[in-house]
Amino acid sequence: MGDDYPTLFRSEQMSLRQFLIPTEVAHDAVAELGELGNVQFKDLNPAVNPFQRSFVGEIRRTEEMARRVRFFESQIQKEKDVVPIRPLYDSSPLVTVGPSAAHNIDELDVTLAEHETRLVQMNDSYKTLSERTRELVEARHVLRETAVFFDKAETQQTDIRTSFDDSSAPLLQHDDREQQYSSTVQFDLEFVAGTIDRTRISTFERVLWRVLRGNLYMNHTDITEPFVDPATGTETRKNVFIIFAHGDALLAKIRKVAESMGATLYPIDANADKRSDSLREVTARLEDLETVLYNTGLNRRSELLRIGENLARWQDVVRKEKAIYETMNLFNYDVRRKTLVAEGWVPIRDLPMIQMALRHATEESGTSVVPIVQELRTNKTPPTFTRTNKFTEGFQTIMDAYGIATYQEVNPGLFAIVTFPFLFAVMFGDIGHGLIIFFAALYMISQEKKWARQELDEILGQFFYGRYIILLMGLFSVYTGLMYNDIFSKSLHIWHSGWDFPEPGSNGASYAVSNGHMYPFGVDPAWHGADNGLVFTNSYKMKMSIVLGVIHMTFALCLQLPNHIKFKRPLDIYANFIPQMIFLQSIFGYLVVCILYKWSIDWSTRDTEPPSLLNMLIAMILSPGKVDATSQLYRGQGFIQVVLLLLAMVCVPWMLCMKPYFQWKERQLIEGQGYVGLGHRNGGPRESTDEVLEGEEEGNGRAIVEEMEEEHEQHDFSEVVIHQIIHTIEFCLGCISHTASYLRLWALSLAHAQLSEVLWTMTIEKFLGLSGIFGTIALVLVVVFWFSATVFILCIMEGLSAFLHALRLHWVEANSKHYQGEGYLFTPLSFAKLDEKE
Amino acid sequence: MEGLFFNVNSGFLEGIVRGYKSGTLTQSHYASLTQCETLEDFKTQLSATDYGNFLANEPSPLSTATIADKATQILVDQFNFLRSNSVEPLSKFLDYITYGYMIDNVVLLITGTLHERDTHELLERCHPLGIFDTMPALCVATNVEELYQSVLVETPLAPYFRDCLSAADLDDMNIEIIRNTVYKAYLEDFYNYASTIGSTTAEVMHSILAFEADRRTINITINSFDTELTKEQRAKLFPAIGRLFPAGNNVLAKADDIDQVRQVCENVGEYRSFFDNSASAQSNGDLGDFGVAAQLEDRFFRMEVHLNKLAFLQQFQYGVFYSYVKLKEQEIRNITWIAECIAQDARDRIHDFIPIF
Repeated sequence: MGDDYPTLFRSEQMSLRQFLIPTEVAHDAVAELGELGNVQFKDLNPAVNPFQRSFVGEIRRTEEMARRVRFFESQIQKEKDVVPIRPLYDSSPLVTVGPSAAHNIDELDVTLAEHETRLVQMNDSYKTLSERTRELVEARHVLRETAVFFDKAETQQTDIRTSFDDSSAPLLQHDDREQQYSSTVQFDLEFVAGTIDRTRISTFERVLWRVLRGNLYMNHTDITEPFVDPATGTETRKNVFIIFAHGDALLAKIRKVAESMGATLYPIDANADKRSDSLREVTARLEDLETVLYNTGLNRRSELLRIGENLARWQDVVRKEKAIYETMNLFNYDVRRKTLVAEGWVPIRDLPMIQMALRHATEESGTSVVPIVQELRTNKTPPTFTRTNKFTEGFQTIMDAYGIATYQEVNPGLFAIVTFPFLFAVMFGDIGHGLIIFFAALYMISQEKKWARQELDEILGQFFYGRYIILLMGLFSVYTGLMYNDIFSKSLHIWHSGWDFPEPGSNGASYAVSNGHMYPFGVDPAWHGADNGLVFTNSYKMKMSIVLGVIHMTFALCLQLPNHIKFKRPLDIYANFIPQMIFLQSIFGYLVVCILYKWSIDWSTRDTEPPSLLNMLIAMILSPGKVDATSQLYRGQGFIQVVLLLLAMVCVPWMLCMKPYFQWKERQLIEGQGYVGLGHRNGGPRESTDEVLEGEEEGNGRAIVEEMEEEHEQHDFSEVVIHQIIHTIEFCLGCISHTASYLRLWALSLAHAQLSEVLWTMTIEKFLGLSGIFGTIALVLVVVFWFSATVFILCIMEGLSAFLHALRLHWVEANSKHYQGEGYLFTPLSFAKLDEKE
Repeated sequence: MEGLFFNVNSGFLEGIVRGYKSGTLTQSHYASLTQCETLEDFKTQLSATDYGNFLANEPSPLSTATIADKATQILVDQFNFLRSNSVEPLSKFLDYITYGYMIDNVVLLITGTLHERDTHELLERCHPLGIFDTMPALCVATNVEELYQSVLVETPLAPYFRDCLSAADLDDMNIEIIRNTVYKAYLEDFYNYASTIGSTTAEVMHSILAFEADRRTINITINSFDTELTKEQRAKLFPAIGRLFPAGNNVLAKADDIDQVRQVCENVGEYRSFFDNSASAQSNGDLGDFGVAAQLEDRFFRMEVHLNKLAFLQQFQYGVFYSYVKLKEQEIRNITWIAECIAQDARDRIHDFIPIF
């Protein structure tokens, strides 16, 4: 059994279990296991097409239900007034397990279908009604607009007529006069009126002009309000048009074109009285129709409200049902088709819970046959399952993004909780900036409950996901800020400084004098503003980053050890771990010791100059044994360096040859005892017969055998050699480049400090001296600018870049020392995760 | 040099279209599609491909028409995406692709109006890629002159129609002649246009368009046997491009039976296979010309697919866009065929589709 506590150090112990579940309990059992979220089922019939599986019918049914639910959802979303959807945690759950499950599901299916038909019906009637309303509204518009047009035309008409009277043949005069006397003006032109989409009006006009060869008079006006399609909610804008033309043939053509262009025609009478009559009629009908429409809309809305009450739990049920049947499709029937056979990976720690869940499912469904869980022996690698909580989740994700840990391998995610924020903080060291991101993270954590429930946008969501990482990053930055004595690029005087500045001398420079105090923590504030301050922090941070880097790499290298012990690979300890450690320590460990030693010496009392450690390291490798007397760090340096260099040199062939040699010897030994690998010589046919034989013997246990076959690793000797060569070269070169890579800690922290100082001097410092009301206003403005620049450039932008570099140091520099990362993630059937995905 | 700057304007879209192309159904997809028992299975199968759940929101009794419509809609959406992201000369090239569909639509509308079909029904049947906004007005026209003057004059098809204004009345025969004359003009124009936009594009497009022209020539020849169409008229309909042009076209113009057509095809290596088995089929069964034509059509499609596939072997050219549309169209035909076979339970003919990849 596993350890007593779930730990991040190694992934959970897993076991492949076979579940024999009676058919009648299967659904409930899977439901229970899905709620538990602890079993990763394996596909037992990978050869079967998705639609030939056992539960396709059920899946199809749930899909149909899901379609209906989606339909409701879209209808509710389209509704202009918000229809409240009762949240899931607020509504009573729908029982889908136990003896009444089938009944409940049937009922749900029926209810959904009923709601759908009702809604569709209402939509239809609403649509036809609104269609008719739209037509009437259009008709009203046409009547009104044409009336305006006719009125205008009437006044003009008379003018034209008088002019006609003067010039045209007198024979017609009588007729004309008669017409003039008649109350209404008669048009001898006939016309077509209607409405058309505004976008089409120009095409329409053009086509008509061409079809009728210009023999028409067309007029159109905009209808100001848009028409809203009730089904889709899209707005269309239309125009009223009226076309005058002469002759039946032409009018018929106009009608045909208009109809095919999607225009609606309305019969309009030329007579003004009749027009006003029909306008009145249309208005009256419109009023009636609007009442009906209003009532229908009200009915529809109440229906939607009823649906909204239940929608969330319907969605929930449908989603779960689908997941359950999809899982059951992975199962196999036993020979008599009475029980379902399932296989799945299970964390050993959770076995009791799973047993409980299965028993519970059996009791619920009211049968006495308990599902059987039995262990399957397998040499297949189990999935990697690391239990996380909301605090560790972020850190684990960072490491999982690089690669999922091999099963039971030491998990770097555990150590990242401390090392990641620390390395970040080394680059980001500033009390002020640290506090800003600390409080930002704190705010996100305080809003945790609320934000977790709602959808966040992509960028904010990512920050929210990493809120605990940000929290620790802020906290560590405050610490390193104290070490660097930096707060918004200024320094803090907490204790008494160790240096006094006397009055400046003749050349205006002042040389600090030690006053015997020792600054107890962090950098002495006296360095701030000193001429050689930058030189000091430069050298200090550079050496510090080397020291931190070598410590980090050594630590990462040490993590190999628990892996080798756990997986019983003593050869790897002797052939890999020890030489690697010696190699790293004899060169770079020595450098760190030298750095610390050099720091500990008061060079002002020595007669030699402080030696350059970089040159020392280069000389150690290029001209071993020779040490310049002027730059000697300690006595006997030459000899010790030669010894260390020899040690490192020895390690290379050691790493290169030992492991392949021992493996070769081991194989010789095995073959010497008369064992020959079956798989290599005549493996092909033999294996297949094995499978068939065992399959016959064990019946439905075949799945186990098949797995065993997959995992025959080919121990080819040449492969081992090549692998080891690559590994050795990578490690040796890696040691050098990785150590240099840690210098980014120095570069970024320096850049950060300089940038924040530049920001300070360029903005606030210039305005501090100003007095008077304008000075104050300017200062306030500049402080606002400075603060926003601090947040956006220094905290967010610089923070992201420091984050990136910290990430790289973990992924490349540390992980390459020990991490295999060849596992695959444990993806259990879990309803909770299903919800997250949606 | 064209390859050097191709990616500036068209690299993105070529990438997109190659991505689309890798989503076309493969042999294994077809294999599992043909195993489906019902259209529901079919839907499930398709949802595992690039089509995704394009049918997910369709109510349950699926019809093959819905499947075809939805699939076409996907193609149209993709095409419109390409079209709206393209710049000259690619946008013009893509427009050229739509002209073919426009011609089909125009002919469809004229024929429909001639037979007094409902306009709206006709409009729905039009291919969405070939829709232009003055199209509905086609229904009014009663002769070619009017057709041209009222509607087509402002469409890009106008130059193609200019040649056939002489055909006075609209009857079935004349419409067929118009269609072929227009299509001939279109093909020739496209062919010339392809020559102006870079040698690689020209090379790829010429081989495809040449085949297209030959296919039309052969089809016209076979279809005009025993009809009123005179041989001179027939010769006028043949596109003046293609691998059979000019000698083959001349022979075809005078051909009287299918054997002569075969002899012409023998002269071109790639076309030799068109009549291979049909000869034996003709000798032992009484399939007649119709059977040969049906089989020939199938071979033409295969050849077309083959040529369009070849277009993807060359980079930095526009042929891929044309080929993608054609291949996708073929794929939709395949899907519809399989769906139709499933719906009508005609399992024995389900494998008669043309696999693409």
